[in-house]
Amino acid sequence: MKTGLFLIIPIFNNYWYDRFMNLRFLTILFILGSSSVIAQDESPKEIMQRVDRLLRGDSSQGTATMEVVTEHWERQVTLEVWSLGTDYSLLRVLSPAKEAGTATLMSENDIWNYLPKVDRSIKMPASMMAGSWMGSHFSNDDLVKESQLVEDYDITLSYRGARDGTNVWEFDLSPLPEAPVVWDRIIYQVRQSDYMPLWAKFFDENGNLSRTMTFSEFTEMGGRLIPLVMEMQPTDKPNEYTKLRYDMMQFDVGLDTSFFSLRNLKRQR
Amino acid sequence: MTWQRLGWRNLQRNYKRTLITAAGLSFSYFAVVLLVGWMSGITAELVENATGLSGGQIEIHASDYRPDRSLYDTIGGRDGTDVSRLLRQVTDDPVVISATPRVYAAGLISSGDTTSAGMLWGIDPNREPTVSRFLQNLESGHIPRPSHNEIAIGIEMARQLNVTTGDELVIVAPGADGSTGNDLFTVSGTFRTGLTRLDATVGVFALEDLQLLVALNRARIHEVAVAVTLPSVADETALRLASSTQADNPAIKVASWTEFSPQIEEYRVLVEGMHIILFGIVFFVAAFGVANTMLMATHERRREFAVMLALGITPRTLILTVLYEAFSVGLIAVVIGSTVTFPTMIWLHNAPLDMSWLYKDMTFFGSLVTPTFRVEYDVGTWIQGGLGLLMTSVLAALYPAIRASRIPPADTLSGL
Amino acid sequence: MTYFTIILPLALRNLRRQIRRTALTASAMIIGGALLIFTLSFGDGAHEQWIDSGVRQDSGHITIERPNFRITRKIEDRLPEQIRLTAEQAIETLRSTGYIDTASSKLTVLGLASSPAGARPVQIIGVDPVSEALFTTLDDLTIEGRYLESTDTLAAFVGIGLMRSLDLEIGSRLVLTAQDTTNEIAGQLVRVTGAFETGVEAADQSLVHIPINTANDWLTANNAVTNIGILVEPSHVAPQISSQLQQILGASLSMRDVAVMNWKEAMPELASAVMIDDFGAYVVNGLLLIVIAFGIINTVLMSVLHRHREFGVLQALGLTPKQTSAIVLSEGLVLTTVSGVLGIVISISLSRYFLGDGIDLSALVPEGSEISGTTIDPVVIPMFRTARIVQSFGWILVIGLISSIYPAVRASRIDITESMKFDR
Repeated sequence: MKTGLFLIIPIFNNYWYDRFMNLRFLTILFILGSSSVIAQDESPKEIMQRVDRLLRGDSSQGTATMEVVTEHWERQVTLEVWSLGTDYSLLRVLSPAKEAGTATLMSENDIWNYLPKVDRSIKMPASMMAGSWMGSHFSNDDLVKESQLVEDYDITLSYRGARDGTNVWEFDLSPLPEAPVVWDRIIYQVRQSDYMPLWAKFFDENGNLSRTMTFSEFTEMGGRLIPLVMEMQPTDKPNEYTKLRYDMMQFDVGLDTSFFSLRNLKRQR
Repeated sequence: MTWQRLGWRNLQRNYKRTLITAAGLSFSYFAVVLLVGWMSGITAELVENATGLSGGQIEIHASDYRPDRSLYDTIGGRDGTDVSRLLRQVTDDPVVISATPRVYAAGLISSGDTTSAGMLWGIDPNREPTVSRFLQNLESGHIPRPSHNEIAIGIEMARQLNVTTGDELVIVAPGADGSTGNDLFTVSGTFRTGLTRLDATVGVFALEDLQLLVALNRARIHEVAVAVTLPSVADETALRLASSTQADNPAIKVASWTEFSPQIEEYRVLVEGMHIILFGIVFFVAAFGVANTMLMATHERRREFAVMLALGITPRTLILTVLYEAFSVGLIAVVIGSTVTFPTMIWLHNAPLDMSWLYKDMTFFGSLVTPTFRVEYDVGTWIQGGLGLLMTSVLAALYPAIRASRIPPADTLSGL
Repeated sequence: MTYFTIILPLALRNLRRQIRRTALTASAMIIGGALLIFTLSFGDGAHEQWIDSGVRQDSGHITIERPNFRITRKIEDRLPEQIRLTAEQAIETLRSTGYIDTASSKLTVLGLASSPAGARPVQIIGVDPVSEALFTTLDDLTIEGRYLESTDTLAAFVGIGLMRSLDLEIGSRLVLTAQDTTNEIAGQLVRVTGAFETGVEAADQSLVHIPINTANDWLTANNAVTNIGILVEPSHVAPQISSQLQQILGASLSMRDVAVMNWKEAMPELASAVMIDDFGAYVVNGLLLIVIAFGIINTVLMSVLHRHREFGVLQALGLTPKQTSAIVLSEGLVLTTVSGVLGIVISISLSRYFLGDGIDLSALVPEGSEISGTTIDPVVIPMFRTARIVQSFGWILVIGLISSIYPAVRASRIDITESMKFDR
């Protein structure tokens, strides 16, 4: 089983590495909420598998705004996003003007970046993969990670009940013995009523919380209920965060794998 | 004085022997000066290469720059500093030859089919060659010119990327404002430091071009590299510069090469200690030769000494005679030795021998050593050598001299 | 022969007669001989150690790899299973020579190591724990945990620098990433079993050993290797074994697919370091011997000049000038060689006895010293080689010869009648 885990350039400062989030995981989560037919007594694994099935063949297109705040600077970028299942994605920057046209293509295990200023597409080497994507707290690695949570983690239900007045499930994910993932444990909290994820917490082996992802503004878009806002925050740098907000999203737009090509990567519209 | 004249005259009597003894002594002088000079040459090269090849003998950074070397830790922080003023403050110091600003970033260098991780150095094309040597003799092409989007790369990198002067490279580097800096650069030239880690990973840019790429304004630099007249004055100069630049740049650190390459300094001190040992061994061995000669000489002249003693010359004076003889031989040796050694050393110093037929480049403590037979000399060693030589002759003659003074006059004169 | 009945005894007798002079000159040569063999044997010992250290840290005294590999260091330039097996077999056939100490096949790749705390570039070496433990020096430098064992699968042995950078402990998860043989980027989980410390930052931060089978699966290598390292004992037989291997492999494989290199070719910087050090020793000893030679010339010359009456008598009795110079020559040679050999013997015995375990130079040598990328052990153990002893003896002989030539010639020119005139 190949999993796309890419890690950083040696010389890129560690600084960048800290920011990462599993984008795939997010996608799973917001698709999770799309189905309204979910039995109450399904096992965690079954729930995840259903998600898996929902994702296969599901295409989407949308626009989003990403805000990144770090110790040294603040940025805001608007993006157009296309995706097909978990293996294909195309993200293109719309603004600011200086970076408009920069695009990232993820096709199975490869990442390509298109840089309009030099009119070149560069394939990401292994050493680049842990580098941050577009300066955010996401890494290139996360963008590509093919592994499903089900494949890499053992999922158990650790809590079922009310938290702050809402009925939630808390799933405890621990990596399978040979899974090439660095996290020792991930916990995520999901709303029972509509399967909306509320947050996900990532822990290292010493039990320390490394980062937290929160989901909010659950709105119906393109016929599905999704969290509009996802915010990722590193524990060691409490003043930093990356916030992704979907402005528009539609599903089942009829994309197939041929759309996710190098040619489309370069195309400006 | 009597003993002077007697001693000198005896030397003349057996001039061949005197000459050979003197020759042996002058050869040992030559040997010592040459060896010490050679050892000094090697350490000098080590120090020079550690400090002048790819940087200066002194480095100035923001105080939090090392060891993480973050893009953001520029001198003066986010606001930067008045670069020309800082440079002027540094070059005002009397022993500073030159200073040059540097900007560092990490990025990707791609030739299209091959991409490699690289360290990006922004330099001032006019000032840099006055501080470091690696861009002085490029393997090909020229040093990058500002505003021309040029890059110079190491020959190893050129080989890995399969490019030559004139080819285009894409440089991608995260900017200090979070953007992804990217641009096309033309290879203006290639350099060779001899150190693989530099030749395979460093890309050199004109300072302003790199600043633009990584979104740093003109006031923000990471380092000032400084060249001073001699590596040995770097420590004190660093201290002076620290105080003279303090006012304008409070959070600054001035480090001399002994701080960032301590092993080489330790080695240099070690080698200096070895000089004494070398002196000792060579002159000790030479002493045997002198002792032997003097012993034979005094034995030959025992009747002469007996006469002298009988005539009233004190044993002490006799000893002095013999010692003076030895001293004179030593003096002759110093003269011969110097006349041979000095020109040789000066010639070797200015025209080091090429030893590449025997061995190739090697590294010691991470610094380059090239196959040349190179010598460094200083008058101190020459004088010490001369004194050592004289001391050796006199000390070696001590035992024979004492023996001579103990000759029983009557017995000697009557017998044979 | 007249030589042994007349000439040699005369030479020897004269040495005995002037015992003090002989003794003094002999002492100089004894010291010379002693120093010569001392510097050479400790030098050889130090070099042997640099070489040993260097080859164990790199690819052995002899390495078998794809010709391009040394330059590209990419997994594309690996030895496929077929070639690997042929090579390993060739090595087996040469074991009977008794020179082959260990062979270790490795799959090396450059990649990344990550943990929740960060990521670092590393050199990942897939090894066979058993043979590599014999090959490498890293297992002796373990400071935490243990080296890999043959039953390990998801194990990693890392440097202390990496451990600290990535905030690891024994048993921690570590994810390795690199580009595999299908040009895809692949990840592999391992757990830290132990850590080493060499004192050299580069090694401590970037070397990772994992079991070769794990590496093989991870990188889809199909049992290929990137190099086979061979250690031989003693090191100077490396070129010989190397060419033998080349011959065996050349019979069935193309030299474009596989290259056999000895350490001098694979690590030219190290070879240079040894050369320059040897050269230095030759220069110092050479100069010293010349200084001693001057002393010898003087001594022998003086003895000739003093004995001109004796020689006159001998020549009157029928000794030819040639034979006279033979006496002087013999005197010089015997003096030089006997004292030289004595010096060598004394030096070897004393060194063996007192310093056989080596001189500890750690007070002098800076911490974490490295020469041409190889860490230096501050303890230097002398190495006594017959070749060196013969070489030293040869030099002493030459010095003896050169020093005695002029006096011998002088001796042959003695005028019989002049020398026998009454004269003091």
